[in-house]
Amino acid sequence: MIEILLSFSQATGIYSFMNSPWGWPVAESIHFFGLCLLVGTVGLFDLRMMGFAKEISLADLHRLVPAGVAGYSLNVVTGIMFLSTAPDQYIYNPAVQSKFFFMLIAGINMVFFYATTANEVKSGDAISRVLFRAKAIAALSLACWCAVIICGRLITYYRPPYHWCLWC
Amino acid sequence: MPGSKLGLLKLETLARLEETALSTWMRESGFAFFSALTVHSLAMAFVVGINFAIALRLVGFAPRLEIAALSRFYSLHWYAAVFIFISGMALLLAYPAKALTNPVFYLKLAALTLGLLISRHFQATFFDRPKVTNDRRTINLAYVSVLLWVVTLTAGRFLAYTHNTLLASRYF
Repeated sequence: MIEILLSFSQATGIYSFMNSPWGWPVAESIHFFGLCLLVGTVGLFDLRMMGFAKEISLADLHRLVPAGVAGYSLNVVTGIMFLSTAPDQYIYNPAVQSKFFFMLIAGINMVFFYATTANEVKSGDAISRVLFRAKAIAALSLACWCAVIICGRLITYYRPPYHWCLWC
Repeated sequence: MPGSKLGLLKLETLARLEETALSTWMRESGFAFFSALTVHSLAMAFVVGINFAIALRLVGFAPRLEIAALSRFYSLHWYAAVFIFISGMALLLAYPAKALTNPVFYLKLAALTLGLLISRHFQATFFDRPKVTNDRRTINLAYVSVLLWVVTLTAGRFLAYTHNTLLASRYF
């Protein structure tokens, strides 16, 4: 796995860029920029569904979500850049594994939201059962994204990973 | 490294600060340092995120979204800003020389302060005023706000890579 990721990084030029003097902090800055876009759009939509700022129309607020998707795309690209450049620092790291776990839960939660609740919420048909489900989905989504930020911050805490990883 | 007499005096003061029990605890307790770092990142994500959302709206995204209603999120924004300040002070206390001898830290501080002043201006302009429309000046200010937050984030990340002095006490 490590070899595959490293050869991908080297073949695509990512490795050279990330090992240039400012490559790593530039990628980190873009990663955090993407995260802020996600929190500022998806996070606010979650807060609104949980009952904050009730004057805002959910359908209108939802129009900002594509910017969050763009932010998430930046996170994926820069995340791949980190992972492929220093795979040994990431794939055995419990903070990274936890981060991926919370991203997975957030993803499943999002699919569930769009499959079961999004149309009713956006059309304003907020019967109490839907409202409770929407609130639960929003709370889980917000909690997952906060956990993703926390785990991301803890990646450096768990270095070097070999001494800490409970899964390896 | 200390250079001038003034620089030496400054480093001496910072070294004394590093030797306080609180600074040592912040530096040596993994829990304390990473808690402050985590709270700082979370709070920063909310402050910058809310500012991005409002700036996006002001420059023309989601035109049906009422700016006055969206600015309700400023209350959360200011709570998060308080957490940025508290956690920032804790991080500064852990490694005072690392930040205070680095020009990038002052760049971050200046961009953060200007960004918050623009937030305050937007809040005063739009909060509870549903009829206010966004003019050219406001749109330009929204772009400036985004730029300032990008500078804040980037300077924050570069702090870890640009410092010349980690601990002032190593010079004494």
